[in-house]
Amino acid sequence: MKRREPTLRAVALEVGQALKEAGIQAVLTGGACASIHSRGAYSSIDLDFVLSGRVTQVSLDRAMASIRFHRHRDRYVREDLPYFVEFPPGPLAVGGDTNLAPVVLRSGSRSLRLLSPTDACRDRLAAFYHWSDRQSLAVAVAIALRHRVLWKRIRSWSTAGGAGARFEEFHAEVKRARSEQRP
Amino acid sequence: MVVLRSSPFGNANRTRVLIALSLLTQSYARELSRLIETPLSGIQGALRTLERDGLVVGRMVGRTRVFEINPRYFARQELEQFLVRLREEEPELRSAVEGVRRRPRRTGKPL
Repeated sequence: MKRREPTLRAVALEVGQALKEAGIQAVLTGGACASIHSRGAYSSIDLDFVLSGRVTQVSLDRAMASIRFHRHRDRYVREDLPYFVEFPPGPLAVGGDTNLAPVVLRSGSRSLRLLSPTDACRDRLAAFYHWSDRQSLAVAVAIALRHRVLWKRIRSWSTAGGAGARFEEFHAEVKRARSEQRP
Repeated sequence: MVVLRSSPFGNANRTRVLIALSLLTQSYARELSRLIETPLSGIQGALRTLERDGLVVGRMVGRTRVFEINPRYFARQELEQFLVRLREEEPELRSAVEGVRRRPRRTGKPL
């Protein structure tokens, strides 16, 4: 019988835990984070972790090797998984906002630090605002439907970035999706 | 030591690519190569490292990879301001960019 492939969430937790055990501070961002918060409404194969503090290549290689990931060019891969792990340059930010408070996801003995649903939502909305990326809008809506996001924070950040009208579109999409969910 | 051109972003290609992108908003490697008068490979290398550093982003438009300054870069505003100042010292690049036609032209109309 074919072995079931681990989910993105499980792999993220495994990587998060391995980095933590190696004393490396890392926060999951980007599409993988959005995928977890949207509970699979969006799928991603790349896991982007933003590191903080001083981390050497050797210590990172060693931490990733402990869970059988090896470095291939600028990413870490594992033969038996479709996912790959990257470490984009920091700091942890959504646009110009670096004042973020990551949340912790726990599962059994493993834990993972990742963007909060509000920040993951803003991260996706940034792509919608800048590139009119409707897929990112759909993911932001999916996150907002599944979590209590901080609307005031999203609204003020959007308005400050000159995206007030786009925010209203997002808000209307969430309201429409909520009304469709009701019996 | 004779410094011919300031290169605060690591080397002259990286700096001039950023300045050109700040003027054009979007561009692609071949156009940048022509404007900056540098071999394509040098521009591609600069774009690759700027992308790795999170300063620029690229996306496919048809078969062309189009680059722009990363609008989600945490210090985007400050970077833009710095580039505005730097481009004052690049009259030749500014002049070359002014020669680029970006406005639409009806299909079939002679150039």
